Amino acid sequence: MSVNRLFRVGSVAVASLGVLALSACGSDPEPAGSSSPDSSTSSAGAECPKGTLNAEGSSAQKNAIEEVISKYNEKCADVTVNYNPTGSGAGIKQFNAGQVDFAGSDSALKPAEMTAATKRCAGNAAVDLPMVIGPVAIAYNVDGVTKLVLDGPTAAKIFQGTIKTWNDPAIAKLNAGVTLPSAPISVFFRSDESGTTENFTKYLKAAGGGAWTGEPAKKWTGTGAGKEKSAGVAEGVKSSKNSITYVEWSYAVDNKLGVAQIETGSGTPVELSADSAGKALAAAKPAGTGSDLALKLDYATKAPGAYPIILVTYEIACTKGLPAEKTALVKSFLSYFVSKDGQASLTDLNYAPLPAEIQTKVEAAIQAIS
Amino acid sequence: MTAVAENKPAYDGKVLDLTGKSGARAFKNTLATVLIVLAFAVAMIPLLWILFTVVSKGYHLLLSADWWSQSQRGITVRRAGGGAYHAIMGTLIMALITAVIAVPIAILGAIYLVEYGKGTRAAKVVSFMIDILTGVPSIVAALFVYAVWITVFGFNRVGFAVSLSLVLLMLPVVLRSTEEMLKLVPDELREASYALGVPKWKTILKVVVPTAFGGIITGVMLGLARVMGETAPLLILVGYSKNINLNPFNGFMGALPTMINQDRTELALPNAADRVWAAALTLILLVLALNLLARLIARFSAIKSK
Repeated sequence: MSVNRLFRVGSVAVASLGVLALSACGSDPEPAGSSSPDSSTSSAGAECPKGTLNAEGSSAQKNAIEEVISKYNEKCADVTVNYNPTGSGAGIKQFNAGQVDFAGSDSALKPAEMTAATKRCAGNAAVDLPMVIGPVAIAYNVDGVTKLVLDGPTAAKIFQGTIKTWNDPAIAKLNAGVTLPSAPISVFFRSDESGTTENFTKYLKAAGGGAWTGEPAKKWTGTGAGKEKSAGVAEGVKSSKNSITYVEWSYAVDNKLGVAQIETGSGTPVELSADSAGKALAAAKPAGTGSDLALKLDYATKAPGAYPIILVTYEIACTKGLPAEKTALVKSFLSYFVSKDGQASLTDLNYAPLPAEIQTKVEAAIQAIS
Repeated sequence: MTAVAENKPAYDGKVLDLTGKSGARAFKNTLATVLIVLAFAVAMIPLLWILFTVVSKGYHLLLSADWWSQSQRGITVRRAGGGAYHAIMGTLIMALITAVIAVPIAILGAIYLVEYGKGTRAAKVVSFMIDILTGVPSIVAALFVYAVWITVFGFNRVGFAVSLSLVLLMLPVVLRSTEEMLKLVPDELREASYALGVPKWKTILKVVVPTAFGGIITGVMLGLARVMGETAPLLILVGYSKNINLNPFNGFMGALPTMINQDRTELALPNAADRVWAAALTLILLVLALNLLARLIARFSAIKSK
């Protein structure tokens, strides 16, 4: 009896293990894109090392880095790059704890973080490498309004809650010839702590002419209803009429929302495009010391054709101090990321490529990693 | 007597009838039945709704062989294609390690509680601790392992660390169910065995555990099903990887819950949304398969009663 029973149990177990064993022959999908013959044009990182690279951080650059990883793997098939979009703060923490090889962050390392990062890099400085420009769109959903122009003070008042209806004289003045409804404006904001919120409030503070009373922060202090993550605010605006929010450009495009043009004081309202966002970055000043490339953005820029609300996301890496094989991997991947090929793949995803001048600087900084 | 019997029909209808024809009682009965059925229906609505939504939105990706045999390497949120192989294997590997660690401890613990420690102080302490462990939320278990594995020992985040925290969640489930199953074994069986001169350890091994075997296996499978859907330990203790990594001691590892989480923010993009639904359905199917397997084992190993 008992032997019989054990035999039957055993056979069930063996059968289920067999099913598992049968399925134990997975593979990676074939690369979707055709091989790129002109990949030799990028000078940097021509040779491919082997190994695994782990990175973590900003969710604002998730789509960009995933695209670049995919393209990079067409060239270097033996390198595995993992990126976890857990947020800038988490990325820096994990990097400083030695859990990942480089971090992605929406803001450059703060002094205290730099101290910890130096410790992690065995006494060598870490470097902020600007890599992806994510324009922030002021996205709206108002029936019959296909073109909306806002300027800094008006945007600040809307998001502060002092302008309450769409047909407010301040908005009407900027949008001559557009029929605005008398409906109240419903504002959506990010309820989670976000680099997007921080950059957007920096813009409101800098360009708002005093209308924005809060301090720039990752946590929203203005008016409105909170929604979680970029997807949440985009969905909120999409599903409710007469609403407005700030969100990464790609989410505004994917959800087919209206994107406001910004009157910066240059005379003509600036439409959001890869080009206009790149121009604003070119106006940025270096904020880091030595080879560090942290940038200080000029949100109040009046440069013609420059779209001022942008978010620069950095890769944070050790200048020295990683094991040799990790250093080779980091250099190889980041070189590809900053190269023309790498940056060109970002435009389709509604990011803006780095301006040539900054690109050269970043390339040099990556080459200096040893 | 016959007169009384003949009189009886005259009283008919006025006599208290206990066969259920009374209006008030019948009404109460119907009302209770309706309420119970309604309560059942209300309970079923969300279940069926979820199942229907997940199946209808997720099934078409599962039909392709690629889904079961390929990873997501190089597949961005905008692109179609790839599969969940990396995540399925990650989930299975971590669940397997969890079971290998948790099941022996749980079963031996239950045997101690039922067979050896009954009524002793030590058994009471163990029992109390298990009760506390049952109430530990998964995030706390994950943070505890993070503190030990990463902060104290300085190791990296790996799949094995996830398994360690899942052990904390699975242990009380399996221990409690095994304990209940062992308690159900009639004392007469043990006494008969002792009467034949069989030592206690052999009685437990040859009589008690085999008798409760079906129930123990069911408990193990339910414990596994419970931990396979846990997300918090995965988020904290291992990075998500789109690539195949079958080594639980090195590197990031994919798993179905984190695969769902990864593309959850991109639901405006049809390809990403499809993958999220398909991954959810795959997870449900895996848990379902485990439950069916448990039933099957329990049936085949059931003691035949004459």
